[in-house]
Amino acid sequence: MRLPRIFRTTPFRLTLLFLALFAAAASAFLAYIYIATAGEAARRTDREIEREMRTLTAAYERAGVDAVNQSLIERAASERPFLYLLIGPDGRRISGSIEASPVEHFTGTPAWTTFHVSDLEQGQPIQRPARGLQERLAGGESLFVGADVAEDEAYVVKVVRALWGAGALVILLGLAGGILVSRNVSQSVTNLTGVVDAVRGGDLAARAPVRGARDEFDELAAGLNEMLDRLERSMAGHRHAGDAIAHDLRSPLTRLRARLEVAYLDVEAGRGDPTQALQQALEDTDGVLKTFQVVLAIARLQAAGAAPDPTSFDLAELAADVAELYAPLCEEKGLEFDSELTRGLTVSANRDFVAQALANILDNAVKYTPAGGAVMLRVRRRTSGDAEASVTDTGPGVPEADRARVAERFVRLENSRNAPGAGLGLSLVAAVAEAHAGALELDEGPGKVGELGPGLRVALVLPARPERASRDDGIPRRS
Amino acid sequence: MRILIVEDDLEAAEAMERGLAEAGFDCVRAADGAEGLEAARGGGFNVLIVDRMLPRMNGVTLVETLRRQGDATPVLFLSALGEVSDRVAGLQAGGDDYLVKPYAFAELIARVEALTRRRETGSVQTLLRVGDLEMDLIAREVRRSSKEIDLQPREFQLLEFLMRHAGQSVTRTMLLEKVWDYHFDPQTNVIDVHVSRLRSKIDKGFDKPMLQTVRGAGYRLEA
Repeated sequence: MRLPRIFRTTPFRLTLLFLALFAAAASAFLAYIYIATAGEAARRTDREIEREMRTLTAAYERAGVDAVNQSLIERAASERPFLYLLIGPDGRRISGSIEASPVEHFTGTPAWTTFHVSDLEQGQPIQRPARGLQERLAGGESLFVGADVAEDEAYVVKVVRALWGAGALVILLGLAGGILVSRNVSQSVTNLTGVVDAVRGGDLAARAPVRGARDEFDELAAGLNEMLDRLERSMAGHRHAGDAIAHDLRSPLTRLRARLEVAYLDVEAGRGDPTQALQQALEDTDGVLKTFQVVLAIARLQAAGAAPDPTSFDLAELAADVAELYAPLCEEKGLEFDSELTRGLTVSANRDFVAQALANILDNAVKYTPAGGAVMLRVRRRTSGDAEASVTDTGPGVPEADRARVAERFVRLENSRNAPGAGLGLSLVAAVAEAHAGALELDEGPGKVGELGPGLRVALVLPARPERASRDDGIPRRS
Repeated sequence: MRILIVEDDLEAAEAMERGLAEAGFDCVRAADGAEGLEAARGGGFNVLIVDRMLPRMNGVTLVETLRRQGDATPVLFLSALGEVSDRVAGLQAGGDDYLVKPYAFAELIARVEALTRRRETGSVQTLLRVGDLEMDLIAREVRRSSKEIDLQPREFQLLEFLMRHAGQSVTRTMLLEKVWDYHFDPQTNVIDVHVSRLRSKIDKGFDKPMLQTVRGAGYRLEA
């Protein structure tokens, strides 16, 4: 038999388990209440019967059957009389309020019994529940003392009914609560499962609803969404990368092919010297190879997911090295170059890739800053503890709306289309940052000053303790 | 100068041979690792050009075997693998230089020339001399025609490399790798600026310019 979905959910099963435990606890509690109320009433009646029996037995021992009879006569007038029966040694009834003893086969040992007495209520004969004790007296007679327990019974019935009611309420409330909770939980899980299914089906845009309850389901949904965001961005990046590679390689290859074709035609027609064309073709080839190299490096970084061959080094030292490489170029271009390097910032990274990233950033700054401008290289520790190497220039900058795009892979700005490889340069920096769990950030430079500006500040941020190192917390692991 | 080319790509090997022959080198070709090892054992080569991935025996094993047998002929590795770790593995196996495919002829020839030169200067020199240019490696001083030239540390290193390879073409990539220890290609030719600064220091005021630009290749320091 297939149960409805709600009954197969983990929360519902847990609910049932808790309900069982809860019901057991409630039963124990209700049983205690029963014993303490209904049970106590019965015991009290028994004690009263026993006391009456002691009193009458004492009277008998003091003065014999007559004393007992005397007592019975006195008691017959009381409000709630006991039921009495005095039986002679020969088994014949001597006196009492009932005709015969309800105790069958009296052997002489004290015997308790539950029985019914006939009564008239509003003219109708009814049977009332009663309870009694029969004991043998010293002279061979036996005495039966009973009590009408109809009121007690009624009380017990009331208590039991109340207890059943309470029990049913407990089970009902527990069940209803459980169903509500499990519906709520399984709805959340169903939402998440739905997103997973959608993504598995290829819909990367699917997102889990965050209900704003700030519970673990919201956390899970937010985490899942963030993961999907990154995945989608990355996929888009790859798709875009394909287009960009095609663009970056196809245009120069087309140029190259055309040049060779023209040269071939010229040679065939016996016109002119192909040397110039061949030389150009070689240069074009070098350009293609250069682009290819960068694309390959980016692909490698992305495929590795982490920086290959990381070593620990002083970021400022590396920056100083790269600065030394570029300082003469700045001077040549009529740019003021300065650096501000905080020493002792050790990072764990791939030295070659970080050097190349810094070189690319500096390269761009020098390329886009007009003569008379300035380029500034800084290495500092952020308040977050991360290491930051940044280059600020006084070039035309990048409009704020485009900055995020520039940092993405293979994006070129329209106005920089003529500067070869510029987009790729920053793409590599972005890939390097990503592989090191760092970031590439673009901000406005120092602002507009006369002809210059507003400038651009490009920062490569490397985590103070790279993820790989932070996982290495001294606990030995099997690898 | 005899060169052994161990390369399984026949067309590439032929082109290489032509290029090297043009530069005055005498070439012998081997098409796989075992053949290459056999030829190298025959001796008499000034430089071995070895592709890293070869049929029958890969280039690294070939060079390791040669080195174990005491053969110290300079080796230039050629490889399509350009990762730092690949380069390091090649050099650790006993390679002297590492060139990533594809390469320009000029680059190949410059590197082969550099390797042949390395052999000739076996002893440790404290003084380098090229024409009237003198470099004292211990005092860290440079003079041309007795006139002292003040150089920055990096300029000194750059000039040292050029002097050690005087008369040979050295490429920009070689300078970047050997003087700066960078193994990537900067987008702008930053090396040109450094060389032209050095040139202005050693050639300014002298009739004969020593630091020459070689078209399509790089630079050459001439006596």
